[in-house]
Amino acid sequence: MQNHDEIPVESESESTAFNVEYEAVDDWSNYKDSDVMQQQSAIFEQDAAKFPFVGDKEPLSSLEAEYKSGSPILLEKIKVLSEKYGAIRRTRGDGNCFFRSFMFSYLEHILESQDHAEVERVKANVEKCRKTLQDLGYADFTFEDFFSLFIEQLESVLQGNEDSISHDELVARSRDQCVSDYVVMFFRFVTSGEIKKRSEFFEPFILGLSNTTVEQFCKTSVEPMGEESDHVHITALCDALGVPIRVVYLDRSSCDKDGGVSVNHHDFVPTPADGATASTSETGPEPNPFIVLLYRPGHYDILYKK
Amino acid sequence: MGDKYNMKNPSVKRILQEVKEMQSNPSDDFMSLPLEENIFEWQFAIRGPSDTEFEGGIYHGRIQLPSEYPFKPPSFMLLTPNGRFETQTKICLSISNHHPEHWQPSWSVRTALTALIAFMPTNPNGALGSLDYKKEERRVLAAKSREAAPKFGTAERQKLIDEIHEYMISKAPPVPQQSSEDASEQPPPAAIDAAAGEQAPETESPQDISTEIAEHEEQPLEQNDEVAAEEITEPEAPNVSRQVANSVPSASSSVHTVEPCQQQVMRVQKPADDRLFTWAAVGLTIAIMVLLLKKFMKANGHGAVFMDES
Repeated sequence: MQNHDEIPVESESESTAFNVEYEAVDDWSNYKDSDVMQQQSAIFEQDAAKFPFVGDKEPLSSLEAEYKSGSPILLEKIKVLSEKYGAIRRTRGDGNCFFRSFMFSYLEHILESQDHAEVERVKANVEKCRKTLQDLGYADFTFEDFFSLFIEQLESVLQGNEDSISHDELVARSRDQCVSDYVVMFFRFVTSGEIKKRSEFFEPFILGLSNTTVEQFCKTSVEPMGEESDHVHITALCDALGVPIRVVYLDRSSCDKDGGVSVNHHDFVPTPADGATASTSETGPEPNPFIVLLYRPGHYDILYKK
Repeated sequence: MGDKYNMKNPSVKRILQEVKEMQSNPSDDFMSLPLEENIFEWQFAIRGPSDTEFEGGIYHGRIQLPSEYPFKPPSFMLLTPNGRFETQTKICLSISNHHPEHWQPSWSVRTALTALIAFMPTNPNGALGSLDYKKEERRVLAAKSREAAPKFGTAERQKLIDEIHEYMISKAPPVPQQSSEDASEQPPPAAIDAAAGEQAPETESPQDISTEIAEHEEQPLEQNDEVAAEEITEPEAPNVSRQVANSVPSASSSVHTVEPCQQQVMRVQKPADDRLFTWAAVGLTIAIMVLLLKKFMKANGHGAVFMDES
């Protein structure tokens, strides 16, 4: 949290030469569009700062408390959820919640499992992503900082090195804008590269989602920070890094199964590079992704299995 | 340079990388460097794009990188008068920070400068900080921009500006000679301006206007006169008077800049001038008659027809 408090102050002192102080405005005719936007982003930042990028692990009962006087369907579903899942970790609703949840969930998994093979596998995929971006014409310096920061985090959660970090430090770093936003941006680059590389595959999904071209979609909905993620982003990230992701849906849709309520989930399973089929939740052996995200319309949080 | 900054700060690292990249791949179209005392403050100069009225121009400006760079976009501000962007005002480009939602970290100062050059010949469409000067005026400014670098800021910044200017002068071809063909592009809008301006003869010397109008057929001119006259009959409408006021300086300035070519035209078309005065007199007479007619109708209680509009 400390970092979020410091950064706006710093930027103010550095940019006063250009900026109109919006607090001092009493003449509305001189209040330009840029001032409105500045104020809007200030409000947005203030609002977002109330909650850290990544929250503390909370028992699932806290989710129940949230809907105490809400829809009975939701309460019913949370009860079903609590049979399988024991805890939730909330993330800030700043449009980056999917990537942020993925980041924390993945790094935490590596920290706890110490799965060296998985780290090597992901590193190889990261190298492929780097190549993809280069092939797409991205200048190296525009993405290499983000890549190296992610690799740094990945290596530091593996214990036994002098740079190794504890779980507490991982939480602290995930709340530090300098680290957290850079890793989020790394995922955005990876996602954008994957979508552009396989544009014929993603094109129909993108058309269905936003009726724009692949190029335009990446420009407006993938690469800019704060743009929310959809199944297109999740599919692309999952394929690019080869990491399966389970998304559990908590919404008001009632899906009666023999009179009871069940909770939908969708498993995003990486397809091999030449794979023509998208992820699936029905066929094949039941995958068991270690990353489980709780989706409520417009937001992703991290779920923990019991 | 690097030792002075906190290399732990990722934006410093990124900016230093951009500086390095900028220096190792110099471009003839632009040059940009940060101040030594503050790498978040850059100076730049761009070359006016060729085959446009900016060709040969060297336009200086400053860039300010936010502390959150590259997550937040840089701000651009021009220092050299250019007729497309206001000076000392943040420029509104979709790549710059007036549309922060469009900025993305994969862009860089280089990308932004390339975009800025591409934006120069585009229609401003009333965007914030934009100007819509006539081509001739922009050409004059382009030629003037080469004479000296703008004076701005501290001695250190000035040194950088002068250095950049020298580099750009060595790379940028001079402003092309203005052809007479270009000058003839100008008159159509100016004629309309002049026609409107004629209704306020006390602020405009008729000699200048006539030289402009003389090149055109009388037919459209007459229509213009009538339209203008009708508008004048509604003195309450503030937009009409503003329109006339606006058109006067633009008409006179365009005449001024086209002057060298105009001398010749004037001599050849002397007889047309006389005819023009006749038409002007006719126009004024019509205007007066319409005014009188309106007054008369108002007095007779038919004013409602006009009052509805005002």
